[in-house]
Amino acid sequence: MTLYLLRRLFLLAFVFLGLSLLAFSLAYLFPGDVLQNFTGLTTMSTEHAAELQAEYRLDSGYLQQYIAYLQRIFNGNWGLSFSSNQPVLHEIQLLLPATLELAAYALLMSFFIGIPLGILAAIKPEGIISRIISALAVAGFSIPVFWWALLLIMLFSLGLGWLPTAGRVGVLYEIPHVTGFMLLDILLSNSQHQSEALIDALRHLLLPTLVLATFPTTVMIRFTRDSMLDVWEQSYIKTARAKGLNRAQVLYRHGLRNALLPVIRQIGLQFSTLITLAMITEVIFSWPGLGRWLIDSIYQRNYPAIQAGLLVISTLVISVNMLTEILHTLFNPLARKR
Amino acid sequence: MARFRLLPDEQLARSPLRELWREFARQHSAMAGLALFLLFVVLAVLSPLLAPHDPYLQNDALLLIAPSWSEAGLVQYPFGTDDLGRDLLSRMLIGARYSFGIALITVLGALLTGLVLGSLAGMSKGLKSSALNHVLDLALTIPSLLLAIIIVAILGPGLINTIWAIMLALLPQFVHSVRNAIAEQLNLDYVIAYRLDGASNWQVLTRVILPNIWERLTVTASMALSTAILDIAALGFLGLGAQAPTAEWGAIIADSLDLIYVAPVGVALPGLLIFTCVLSVNLVGDGLRNAMKKRRDN
Repeated sequence: MTLYLLRRLFLLAFVFLGLSLLAFSLAYLFPGDVLQNFTGLTTMSTEHAAELQAEYRLDSGYLQQYIAYLQRIFNGNWGLSFSSNQPVLHEIQLLLPATLELAAYALLMSFFIGIPLGILAAIKPEGIISRIISALAVAGFSIPVFWWALLLIMLFSLGLGWLPTAGRVGVLYEIPHVTGFMLLDILLSNSQHQSEALIDALRHLLLPTLVLATFPTTVMIRFTRDSMLDVWEQSYIKTARAKGLNRAQVLYRHGLRNALLPVIRQIGLQFSTLITLAMITEVIFSWPGLGRWLIDSIYQRNYPAIQAGLLVISTLVISVNMLTEILHTLFNPLARKR
Repeated sequence: MARFRLLPDEQLARSPLRELWREFARQHSAMAGLALFLLFVVLAVLSPLLAPHDPYLQNDALLLIAPSWSEAGLVQYPFGTDDLGRDLLSRMLIGARYSFGIALITVLGALLTGLVLGSLAGMSKGLKSSALNHVLDLALTIPSLLLAIIIVAILGPGLINTIWAIMLALLPQFVHSVRNAIAEQLNLDYVIAYRLDGASNWQVLTRVILPNIWERLTVTASMALSTAILDIAALGFLGLGAQAPTAEWGAIIADSLDLIYVAPVGVALPGLLIFTCVLSVNLVGDGLRNAMKKRRDN
C-alpha cells in the first residue's frame, strides 16, 4: 500500500510538472506580448517593463523563465486580469466556491437518484421498469446540456414562473462573502431574513443542479446497473442464496458492497465531464462561477485568466481523480495487488 | 454416446461478424438507432441537393414566417424562416453537414491517429511506453471542453479550429483504449503461438491483433462520436466554434435565443436534431456492446 501511494504520488508530481509546463508555454502560444501575458499589465512604462523583464527572467533562457514562473505560482503572484486589473488568483478564490457548490450538489443528486434507479433496473433486467429506466438513461445521456437547460427555463421559469432563471440568490438579500458557499454563508450570516434567504437560494440552486445532475445521473444508472448485473452472476452470490439468505439480504450484504466499489472510481472519471458541463450550465444560468468567468475570458482575450483557469480546473480534476483512485484501492483489496 | 464432431454444425459455425449482426438485429432499439444514424449520414452527404432553398439567402420579404402547421405559415417553408428570412428547413439540413458530418470526420481522424500512436505505445516496452502513458494520463484529466477552449484561445474561434481542438481532445481516449486492447491481446495464446512461428511485430499487429480489437474500437468510436457532436454543438452555442452565418445547429440555437418568445421553433428544432443525432449514435453503440457481450456468452 505504501509503495502504491508512493507510485501514485510520483505520478501526481509528473502530471503537475507537465501541467505547469503547458500553462507556462501558453504565455508564448497565446497571441500578444509574452510579458503582457505573464503580468496581465496592458500598459506599462519602458522602465517598468525593463524591470519586470528582469524580474520575470525573460532575458535568460526558457528554463530560468520556467523556474521564475513556478516561484510566482507558489508565491501566489498569478498576474492581473486584463479586463478587471485585479489579481487573477483573488478572482478565482471568489469564484471557485460557487462552481464547487454547484458541482458538489449535482454529484450528490446523481448519487441519490442514479444509484437506487440503477439497482432497481438490475433486479429484473428484462422487466418493464428496467426498460423504462434504461430508456430514460439513454435519453439523458444524449441530451445536449444547453438545450436541456433552455427547455427547463422555458417550462419552469418563463412558463410556470415557479423558479428564478439566473444568479445564486435574490438581489434583495445581502449575504456577506465568508466562505463563498452560498448556503453556508446564509447560515453564518445573522440577519433576520435568514430562512427566507435560504429558501430563495435553494430555489435558485434547484434548476442548475437539476440540469447539471442529468448527465452524471444517467452515467450512474448505467454503471450501477451493469456492475450489479456483473456481480449478480458471481458464484459468491449463488453461494449466499444457497445458504438461505433472501434476496434483500444478499443484495445488501454481498451485492451492493461489491457492485458499488467500481462506482467510486467512476466518480473520478466523470468529474472532468462534470466540470465541463458545469461551465456551460454556469453560462446559461448566469451562475457567478469559474466556468462562466473562463468563457468570458475567452471573449475578452483575457490570457492571464485563461492560463490560471486551466491551472486551477485541471488541478482540481486531477486531485479528485487521484483521490477517488486511492479510495478505490483502499476499499478494494483486489486492486491493491497490481 | 455423443458422436464426436470435429467441427460444429454448419448452421452454428457462422463468422463472428455474422453472429454479431444477428445479435445486433435482435435489439429493436439498436436497429432504430442504426436507421436514424444512416438517415443522418445520408442527410449529411446529400443535404445541398435536398435543401429546397439556399440556407444563406436572406429574404427581407419573408422575415420570421411561422411554421407551416400554424395559420400564418407558408407551405413552401415547412419550418418557417428566421429573423433574416432564411429558410429554417434548409438550414437544418445543411446543419447536418456541420454538426454530424464534421463530428464524423473528427472522430475518424482521431481514431486513425489514435490507432497509430496506440499501436506504437502498445507494442513498445519500457521507458518509452511508460512516458507516453504518463503524458496520456495528463491529457485525459484535462476536460475536453477546457482543452478546446484553450486551443480556440490560441488559434482564434472558428469551425476549423474547433475540429482540431476536438480531435486533440478525443485523441487520448483512443490511444488509451488501443493501447489497453493491444496489451491484453499480447498475452493471449494465439498471439504467442503466432510469434513462435516467427512473425514480426508488424505481422502480429496487422494479422492477429487488429482483427481482434476493431470491434472494441468501434464501440469507443461511437462514444467519441456522441461526445464530438455534443462538443461541436456546445462550442457553436458558446460562440467559440462555428461563427454566426454558418448553419451549425449549436450556433443556430445561440442565434435564435433572443427570439425565443417570437419563434420558439428556432431553438426547439436544432436542439431536437442534436438530441436525435446523439441518441442514434448512443443506441448503435449500446447495441453493439450488448451484441458483443451476448456473442461472447454464447
